[in-house]
Amino acid sequence: MESTRVPRADLFDPAALSALGHFEIVARWIVDGFLSGLHRSPRKGFSVEFADFRPYQPGDDLRYVDWKIAARADRWVVKQYEEETNLRATIILDVSRSMDWKGVSEEPRVTKRAYAEQLTAALALLLLRQRDAVGLIRFDDAVRTSIPPRARSGQWRRLVGALVEPGNGRASDLASALGQAARLVTRRGMVILISDMLVDVEAALPALRGLRAAGHDVNVLHVMDPAERDFTLAGEARYTDPESLLDVPAAAADVRAAYRTTVDHVIAEWKQRLGALGAGYEVILTDQPYAIPLRLAFGARERRG
Amino acid sequence: MNFLAPLFLTLGAAVGVPLLLHLMRRNIATRVDFPAARYLLRAEAEHSRSLRLRNLLLMLLRVLLILVLALAAAKPFLPGLGVGHGPTAVAIVLDNSISTTAVVGGRAVFDRLRDATRQLIGASTPEDRLWLVTSDGRVRGGSRDALLAELARIAPTEGAGDLALALARAASTVQGSTLPAKSVAVATDAQRTSWTTATRIAPALALLVPSGAPPSNRAVLSAVPEPARWTPRGSLTARVETRDSVGYRIMIGERTLSRGATGRGEPILLRASPPERGWQAGRVELEPDDFPGDDARHFALWIGAAPTVTADASAGSFAATAVSTLIADGRAAPGSTIRVASADAASALPALLTPPADAVRLGAANRELERLGIPWRFGALQRSTVVARGGRVDNISVAERYQLVRAGVGVGDTLATAGGEPWVVAGPGYVLIGSRLDPAATQLPVRAPFVPWLADMLAVRLAAPTGDIGAPIQALPGRPIRLPAGAETLESQAGSRRSITAELMDAPEERGVWFVLRGGRRVGAVVVNAPPEESALERWPAPTLAARLGGVSARSASTNAGWVGDTFAAGTTRPAGTPLLVVALILLAAEALAVRTSRPTAA
Repeated sequence: MESTRVPRADLFDPAALSALGHFEIVARWIVDGFLSGLHRSPRKGFSVEFADFRPYQPGDDLRYVDWKIAARADRWVVKQYEEETNLRATIILDVSRSMDWKGVSEEPRVTKRAYAEQLTAALALLLLRQRDAVGLIRFDDAVRTSIPPRARSGQWRRLVGALVEPGNGRASDLASALGQAARLVTRRGMVILISDMLVDVEAALPALRGLRAAGHDVNVLHVMDPAERDFTLAGEARYTDPESLLDVPAAAADVRAAYRTTVDHVIAEWKQRLGALGAGYEVILTDQPYAIPLRLAFGARERRG
Repeated sequence: MNFLAPLFLTLGAAVGVPLLLHLMRRNIATRVDFPAARYLLRAEAEHSRSLRLRNLLLMLLRVLLILVLALAAAKPFLPGLGVGHGPTAVAIVLDNSISTTAVVGGRAVFDRLRDATRQLIGASTPEDRLWLVTSDGRVRGGSRDALLAELARIAPTEGAGDLALALARAASTVQGSTLPAKSVAVATDAQRTSWTTATRIAPALALLVPSGAPPSNRAVLSAVPEPARWTPRGSLTARVETRDSVGYRIMIGERTLSRGATGRGEPILLRASPPERGWQAGRVELEPDDFPGDDARHFALWIGAAPTVTADASAGSFAATAVSTLIADGRAAPGSTIRVASADAASALPALLTPPADAVRLGAANRELERLGIPWRFGALQRSTVVARGGRVDNISVAERYQLVRAGVGVGDTLATAGGEPWVVAGPGYVLIGSRLDPAATQLPVRAPFVPWLADMLAVRLAAPTGDIGAPIQALPGRPIRLPAGAETLESQAGSRRSITAELMDAPEERGVWFVLRGGRRVGAVVVNAPPEESALERWPAPTLAARLGGVSARSASTNAGWVGDTFAAGTTRPAGTPLLVVALILLAAEALAVRTSRPTAA
């Protein structure tokens, strides 16, 4: 048996990875790398209806290797089966202006939006490979894109095509986006919200509560730039929110400790209030490899499946 | 508080920088996009009190830091704060009199004093001003290194010096300094006789008296030949200070004249008629002890044939009898070299001249004086009884005398006075007395000193060749002496010579006999000995001497370290630069700590 060890792209630095190619290609690398890291094929439903052969990949369950072909042609193939979709997932992606920001750092870094889009593409591909139906809603101050969940071939290209559409509205109307999601996903499914969560908590919670009431699994991936998490900026300046134009003069060194405490409180508050709703919540930093958010999302999917 | 560099205090104006930054914080012009500004606003709202306090603390720390650095740069001197000592003007009086050569505890006192002085100079800082004053009153200034080099060259003197003068000069030297602290440091053996005339000084005084009792001392206090010119007989009397029996030796030149032993309070008396002729050097030596400086005393004398003398009848019977006595004693010989006569009967010099018995002859006497080139004349007759002063004729009653009036500019000495006026005068080849040698005029002829006085006049004043010094010149090392006119050279016993530059000059520093040469001939001698007071090594108790010289605030020590500390303790302030820098470092650390609490930690 001959196997080639391929570097796992899901463990790469996101900024370095984004420089390697279009995010569509990168998304494939990420998903391939992620799946190979699971050491077994995540796919289910092999027993339903034979569909096709495909070459063996590391991690595939040996039970599905066609040993006759292996004996005849000295070639390892696994049998694929047509399977019914058992999950309908909707990814809600925040593309507001606040997402289009990255902190100043000695290391190259991607914007929160670029990170979120790359994550969305990879996550959608991963779910689609599981034969799940995946939909996408992009929003800023309005819903920009709305693609219903589908599992058919071509869905991923449609999703990827939507990701390059413009956004950058001056606000994040999360409530509208969540309402749209509720309308799109009529069957119980999984809703993954990818946002920097710079929204009004009190306005967002009712919509999230509605999704939960409809029986959806809600998972929030709170995307943060490390500079937002730790306030690693330096010097004295007027710090301005590009969405609300809120203007706060401060000396970074003086308020850093207080800021970090406040962010801790904010995260704790989100976690506590979303937890109370039964929704998942994780903070994702834009310098973390994609394997981390993928594992979180995949874990949620596994728990549901 | 004093500052060495007060201009640096202007750096304190920099405190405006953190103040300005603190006040201008709300007027920041730079804008930075930061989506999470809402968290920043919330953080400031939630922690406004602690942030304000922290900002205030940082501002205060920075203001204090700048102030402390400005203070440190100005090199302040504060009372009771700091390390080391403040800039001090220090005059060190180093007692290098001969008494410091005494050995105490196996080491000369001077060596210990010099070591202490070296340590004191070494403990000074570049901000200090130092002077070194030796017991001769000489003041040396300069850098620390220059003074250390100078100190290495200083040796004990052969005499007592003048420590009172040295102390006064040291005090006036430091008083003239502009430095805030002034101190006089005295390193001495505290010899009682050296400090009797010293007066209290104003600057702070630190006294070092090394520990240990002075040694038991034996000394030759005096050695006096009688008469100064031996013809050729004479005697030598030496006084010795000793607690027990001690051996002695008397030498003339390199020949031992006499040996023996003497005890406490016993003078040494030697009568001799040595074969040497001319000016001779001699010394009286004792067995050596721990203070070798006074174990020998030098003397000089002239040895030669007795002068031939004739007493003229005009001088009176008392003079004739005295001359006969001297001839009978061998201290004079019959002959006509020297005449003792009434002035009007004198025909030649050398002569001892008296007034004429008959006042009628006074004019003739004065004319004769003029003819002989004597710059004195007989004046008015004084019949009031007065007491004579001077030499052997001290306290002799004078009832009748002629005033001796100066006439001309010739050389002449006044040997004795009566009623405050010259009574016995002498010059080259003559001795002139204002009274007849008659009990009706003066009691001198009938008093015991008459014959010795006459012998002295004959031997010292008249028998010596013209221009010779009658008696040796007694001198203290380095002290001024007056030499006879025409003297050209001083020659030591070993033959080394020193040119004479003036009649009034300082005696050689080395003890011994120095012959006075004129035209290559010995015409006299200078005898240099330490003052006998130096042989008394008794000390003042250190605290007593300190209080005597410097008042109640004066300090005394017996160790080098204590003395150095006392000297610089006079400065009421100490350099506070180092403590202030330490404070600055603490402030800096506190500021860094306060800032550090705001820095991000590794994720």
